[in-house]
This record gives sequence, C-alpha cells and structure tokens, in this order.
Amino acid sequence: MAVIASAQSKAERGFKYALLAPAVIWVIGLTFFPIVAAVHFSFVNYVLGEGITGFVGFDNYVRVLTDGGFWYSIFITLVYVLVTVPIEVCAGFVLAWIITIGLPGKSFFRPILTAPLFTMEVAIGYLGVTLFTDQGGLVTTLLAAVGIHIEWLSTGAGGLAAAMILDMWIWTPFVFLMSLAGLSAIPNDIYDAAMLEASSHWEVFRHVALPLAWPVLTIAILLRIIEGMKSFGLPYALTSGGPGTSTQLFSIMADLTTIQFTDFGRGSAMGVLYLILVSVVITIFFKQMRKRIE
Amino acid sequence: MENLLWRNSKWGSKLVAMAIACVALVWVAIPFLWAFNNSIKTEADTFRQGAVIPFLQFTPSLDAWKFVLSDPQALNCLFSSALVGVGTTLFVLILGTPAAYSLARFEFKRMKSRDITLWFLSQRVLPPVVVLTPFYILLAELGLIDTWLGLILLYSTFNLAFCVVIMRDIFRDVSKEVEEAARIEGASLWQIFWMIAVPLSLDGLIVTAFIVFAFCWNEALFASAVTSQHAATMPAFILASRSTRGVDFNQAAVNTLVAIAPPVIMSFFVQRYLARGLSFGAVKG
Repeated sequence: MAVIASAQSKAERGFKYALLAPAVIWVIGLTFFPIVAAVHFSFVNYVLGEGITGFVGFDNYVRVLTDGGFWYSIFITLVYVLVTVPIEVCAGFVLAWIITIGLPGKSFFRPILTAPLFTMEVAIGYLGVTLFTDQGGLVTTLLAAVGIHIEWLSTGAGGLAAAMILDMWIWTPFVFLMSLAGLSAIPNDIYDAAMLEASSHWEVFRHVALPLAWPVLTIAILLRIIEGMKSFGLPYALTSGGPGTSTQLFSIMADLTTIQFTDFGRGSAMGVLYLILVSVVITIFFKQMRKRIE
Repeated sequence: MENLLWRNSKWGSKLVAMAIACVALVWVAIPFLWAFNNSIKTEADTFRQGAVIPFLQFTPSLDAWKFVLSDPQALNCLFSSALVGVGTTLFVLILGTPAAYSLARFEFKRMKSRDITLWFLSQRVLPPVVVLTPFYILLAELGLIDTWLGLILLYSTFNLAFCVVIMRDIFRDVSKEVEEAARIEGASLWQIFWMIAVPLSLDGLIVTAFIVFAFCWNEALFASAVTSQHAATMPAFILASRSTRGVDFNQAAVNTLVAIAPPVIMSFFVQRYLARGLSFGAVKG
C-alpha cells in the first residue's frame, strides 16, 4: 500500500512541477533578468551598437535627480492620479449602487457603461484632440456657447485637465464593474433587513453597502493607482507631451529619454527610481491580495 | 434583489437614480456618437458650423472610411495588431493554463502556492517603463526590433500573470469530487487536467483570452518603442499619424472607431467573470 502511495505521489510531484516549470522559467528569464539588467544599466554608459562603454557609478542618478524635468514629471503624474482616482472611485461606486438597488434595465446598462474600459487609450487621446481643440472641438464649442472659454490643448494645465477628463471616461467603468461585483456579492437578505431598519437609502448606502463592499473597493482603488502611475498612451496621443514638456507624465518622459534620445543609462536610472516610488503602493496591494486570494 | 430597496423607494429617489443613470449613459455615448458623426463627414463639413444632423444638415459621405481602409499602412497595422494579439493570447494560454492548474491543485515544498501566484502577479503590476531599456536592448541584440515575434515575446511576458492568476482561481472552483471520481476510474493526472478541468473551465479561458487580447490590442508604450514599419500595431499607427499628418477630424474619427471596435464589441459577449478577471480573482463575480 505504502509503495503504491509513494509511487502515486512521485508521479504527482513530477506532474505538478512539469506543469509549473515552463511558466516559472519564462518569468525568471523575462522579468527578473530585465529588472536586474535595468539596475545594471543605470550604473553604466550604454551606446546602441557598441554596448557598454564604461562604468559611471552614480552619474546617471545624479543627472536624473538634479534634472527639474524629472521632478516635474513625477509631480504631474501624482497630481494626475490624485485627481482622477478619487473621482473615478466615487462615480463608479455610486453608479454601481444605483444599478444594484434595482434600477430597471440592469442588463442594458452594465455592458454599455463598461464599454469605455476596453477602448484603446491612444485612440481616445487622438479623438480627444477633436473634442478639445480650439478649432471647432466639440467641448470647446459647447462651452463657448455658454460663454466659457478654456484653452485646453494650448496650455499645460488645460492639456492635463483634458487628459484627466478622458481618463475618467475610460476608467470610471473599471471601478463601476468592480463595485457592481462587490455589491452583488452581498446577500439580498442583508439589504432587505437593512431597509426595514434604516430610515433612508443613504443610511443603507453608508452603513451597509459601503462597509461590506469596502474590501473590494480597496482592491479597485489600489489597481487604479497602479495603472494610473503607468499612464502613457492617452495623454501622449492627446498632447504629445506639450506644449513644450508641460504634459510629460513620467512614462512619456522616460520613453522619450530612452527611445528618442537613446540615453539608456539615464532611462534605466529613471526606471529604477520610479520603481522605488511605486513599490510603496505595490506593497500595500500585495498585502491586500494576500488576504483576498487563498 | 427585485427588490425591496427599489420598491420601498420614494418617487424622488427613484427619479434621482434614473437621472444619474441617464447622465452616465450620455457621458459614455458622447465620444462614440461624436466619432461616428465625424466619420461620415467630408473634410469641409467637419469645419462647417451647424453641420450636426446627417442627411438634414450635411450629406453623409464614406470618403474618410474609404481613405483609411484603403491605406496600406493602416491595413498592415490592423493585421499586425490581430496577429500579435492572437499569437500572444495562444502562447499565454498554453504556458499559463498548466501552471495555473498546478498552483490550484498542489502545494509546493518551499513556497505556498498562493505566494507563487502572487509572485507571478508582481510582473503585471510593475510599471512597464521600468523595464523599457533592458527589453529594448534585448530585442535589439536578438534582431527582433520591429518584428511580430518581438512583440509577442514582450506581451506574453506582461500577460502571463493574468492567465496564471485568473485560471488558478477558476480551477479552484472545479469540484474535486469529479476529479477524484475520474482518478478512481483510472484517469492519469494529465487526462484529469486536459479532459476534465480544462473543459469545465471554458468560461474562464474565454475571459482570460479576451483580457489578454484586449491588452495586446491596446498597448502603446512598447508598440511605439520597438516597432516602426513592418510590425507596427494600431496604437503605433495612430501615434505616428498624429505626429506626421496632424489631425483631420473625419480621419481621426475613422481611425478611432476602427481601432476601438474589436475589444469593445467582444466585451459585450464576455460579461461573466469580467470583474473577477480584471481584479486577478480578488473580486468574485
């Protein structure tokens, strides 16, 4: 009996490792190696075609940290995230609540309200030019009709604001979808009981729905912050980083440094510094995920 | 839920709820409608004030559609996008699904399978710009700049986590009793995985495939960094035509509609498990 059992567990061991190994090897090769390489490149001078031409110590870091453009791009990326994420979270959650409490036509609203989530950011940014340009853009024209004149794409602040509005268009549906799942997971009896006790919808919302859906909302918020810190395609297609460098979010600036100016050493140093900054959020995210998945 | 909350509501709160839902609907619809309306205008009409309602105020024209869809570069990019998207999706599923099953069913000596799963997830939450340099140099050294293979390699790396994490979660829902029964009947471990667990998890595979495909289709940073002509995908095409040709309203509209259509249309058919997939299994539903 013991012999059979051990033969079986031996087969099982071979099987489980055989299934897992290819994916693990792939990730080690193509994720951990590049991160190590990024750290390495940040300490050297790399010329395309010639390879590494010398060790430069912390020079790349010094050049990045003393560059006002770097700090500016970090600053506007943080502003971008801190403005868009709270609005997206509130709007998405409220919408999900309205659908959950039984608004007629749930199966009609859900797919339509989630559609923007799957649109191509670059395409929406490109379309956004025709919405926000001062030469006949839809938003500009409509606002002008009621006497409001905003210079959207010809100023840094206006460009950022336009990008944030489109960001909300794309990403509010993400929070909506998550919240809807979170709220639907709460058993009906709880809502019914709460409704009998509470005097208003607001109380049910505030004291039942929000606390019970909070763990799900936490994950949604953290994922939004992480994705927001990666923002690239939408603002880049909308403003090309301009006027000047005024709307160069971090990813845009790092992309230009690396690819356009082929300054790989500096690009790597920027990446490493950014990773350190983002790792704070990622660590919190992993703590939450550890609780959520078994 | 049908639904004490709603039935007991006052008329006022019902109206507010409906109003908010309608505003949301309009908000979502405006860019789509604006793009569609512009796409059937001639260039002159896009600048003319008061050309809003088709047939009444302007004569619809398919010129912009014809122009974009007969542009060999645009067609080439559409083809690249489709090929890279499908190629990556298949590769990720082949590599990730077995790993997901292994992590769902078995424990490992040194690490808990949950922690291995989170380890997979770490590469998905990493800002891609951090590894832009090493990947660019890696592809340059391998001669894979501006190739489909290079993009598939990159995208597979970023998306493997989706497959491993989502499918592990789905496999855990497959009942162990069914698998146990098959084992007593003499099925091998491989047969149990391939002929029982995988067919029972088809919904999850479809959602995973959709999410991975949509990500590849929409990805812009690497697409614009490592491609130029041959393997350029739609995001790279749009960024390039934005900077070289500027913005013609009607062509921008057609480009946008063509570029966003595939994943958006697919999303209408893949509603189940969507929240679960996008939250890496942290949200059930």
